[in-house]
Amino acid sequence: MTVVKAETAPYFEAFRARPHDAEEPRWLAARREAALLRFGELGFPTRRQEAWRFTNLRPLQGTNFAPATGIAAVAPAVVEALRLSDATHRLVFVNGRFAPELSLLSVVPAGAWLATARRTLDERPELLEAAVDDSDTAGAQPFASLNAAFFADGFVLALEPGVVLDRPVQIVHVGRAATPAQAAHVRNLVLLREGSRATVIENFTGEGAYWSNSVTALSLGERAALRRIKVQDDGRDAIHFAVDRVTLGDDTRYESFVLTLGARLARHDTLALIAGERAHCAVHGAYLLRGEQEATNATAIDHAASHGTTREVWMGVVDDRAHGVFLGRIAVRPAGQKTDAEQLNRNVLLSPRATVDTKPELEILADDVKCSHGATVGDLDENALFYLRTRGISEADARRMLIDAFTAEAIATVEDVGLRDYLAAHVQRWLSQDGDARREGVS
Amino acid sequence: MLEIKNLHARIADEREILKGVDLAVAPGEVHAIMGPNGSGKSTLAGVLAGRAGYEVTQGSVTYLGRDLLALSPDERAREGIFLAFQYPVEIPGVNNMYFLRAALNAVRRARGEPELDAGQFLKSVRAKLKLLEISDDLLQRGVNVGFSGGEKKRNEIFQMAMLEPKLALLDETDSGLDIDALRTVANGINRLRAPERAMVVITHYQRLLDYVEPDRVHVLSDGRIAKSGDKTLAAELEKSGYAVFDAA
Repeated sequence: MTVVKAETAPYFEAFRARPHDAEEPRWLAARREAALLRFGELGFPTRRQEAWRFTNLRPLQGTNFAPATGIAAVAPAVVEALRLSDATHRLVFVNGRFAPELSLLSVVPAGAWLATARRTLDERPELLEAAVDDSDTAGAQPFASLNAAFFADGFVLALEPGVVLDRPVQIVHVGRAATPAQAAHVRNLVLLREGSRATVIENFTGEGAYWSNSVTALSLGERAALRRIKVQDDGRDAIHFAVDRVTLGDDTRYESFVLTLGARLARHDTLALIAGERAHCAVHGAYLLRGEQEATNATAIDHAASHGTTREVWMGVVDDRAHGVFLGRIAVRPAGQKTDAEQLNRNVLLSPRATVDTKPELEILADDVKCSHGATVGDLDENALFYLRTRGISEADARRMLIDAFTAEAIATVEDVGLRDYLAAHVQRWLSQDGDARREGVS
Repeated sequence: MLEIKNLHARIADEREILKGVDLAVAPGEVHAIMGPNGSGKSTLAGVLAGRAGYEVTQGSVTYLGRDLLALSPDERAREGIFLAFQYPVEIPGVNNMYFLRAALNAVRRARGEPELDAGQFLKSVRAKLKLLEISDDLLQRGVNVGFSGGEKKRNEIFQMAMLEPKLALLDETDSGLDIDALRTVANGINRLRAPERAMVVITHYQRLLDYVEPDRVHVLSDGRIAKSGDKTLAAELEKSGYAVFDAA
């Protein structure tokens, strides 16, 4: 008999209290129940669990987040500010619900399916089955299981073999606080069949205290290629959790970049399974934190097939009393011969009270592999600061230049110049706002 | 323009390195400060530019009538002081042109001059490169990143030309240069000599002074100016060495 942890009880109540959806397929209803039960068994993670030992979950546990019910009014300017110059498709979700009036849906090529999860459920329910699976009902990600139980919507991009989307797809998630506090559980799916290609940009933005909890399943068939950019700039009182489950087939290319700027408590987990040979898995990112923010970026790359490559560059900039965490796990199974993996995590602390925890973890069960990792935590280069200042550049500007240059090293991993500029512009905006300490005139 | 009186300085809590330096530099003059290793040459340059880690325990430095030591390094630069580094710092990820334009505009703002836009800046860059006879291959790289020793020093002189300081401090600008690079650098310095601009050239060897003729030569020994003279003093030192001052 399963034992349900006491702290999960409010979520069981909310599950029973939610409106009944007669249209929902039975398989999904069953999986939702099983996933909720799994969440109940797992409970909230504690610091005794290795994967969560650096995370302070108090902001989440102190509040019961009811599943978000309705859409809030959002000015079009909020979405326009995030505009990507050449994005042709844009889906906007407000508190996890599709907002058609803010979205731009143009015609997609034959063989491409781009729609909300809700519409997919109505018209192509078989697609969505891939997005809710055993990892929700039997896995070890409690918040992903909770998401499976409650998600109301999300986006689905599915490409038939050989279909190439030239222009990026942009997904914008807007959070708005409500009373009582609400959680937006969003479930997404990117399914690329053989030889198909796409670029997906996801933005998170918002105001007030809310919980954004998203799960994305990404599956790349033979020779498929996916470029994925995520800019997490949720409100400073928000909580942001996200799990990416990536499966890579033969000769696939997955290139992702996660920029973390927002939320008081944030965590992004990338779980990648290299199931096919010669797959390329690039998982890069940067996090810029200040105030009391805490953000964890956790990657777990599982090389289960030969000749795979992993590339990871993560740069962290941590100011004030903020806390950055990087957990980088790379496993190479016996079948993962000729794996070539490189992982780098570099951090600068801008304040004496800022902290970083970084933990590389390699588990190698094959004998012919190349795996390297490096992690550093340091201050801005004092010599470089002095040099810039002797040329008349103010200390504040000199610091910004060095932070910008530091972050640019991670952004340089993004091949597309337009996407690089887009990310750099977000970093610039962060830099234009001072840290709490400097704003208050204490350094 | 610059008046140093009885300057004493030490590194953090360690022993005193400058033990009473006196020096006066007038506009248009080029002064050479020579001295053996450990005599305090780099400490003097560091104190004048405002490098952290030095503590002035006695004396004063007056620049254009102001207390120089009360200014931050960037304020000093905006007031017209330029330090050419002995070891120019590599700054990966900061483009040399971007950096230089930010510096120039910071200095121009302080002077009450309008900032230069990209086009005006580029024009100015071209003019200075031509004046100094140096090529433009350094411009699009990270600041000093991967530069040879000669390239780094040329970049320093180029920055000096762009920023048009009132007082230039050149800290061992000749060190580590082959004869061609030395000529280029010396040539640059000479072209930047001007009636309103003073220069303090700090060097261990006399050879730079074969190309840059100083108005005054000072010998720094054990934290003090042990001897001052005209350019002939440099030649004298070349023959006799610094040993005579150590004994004194």
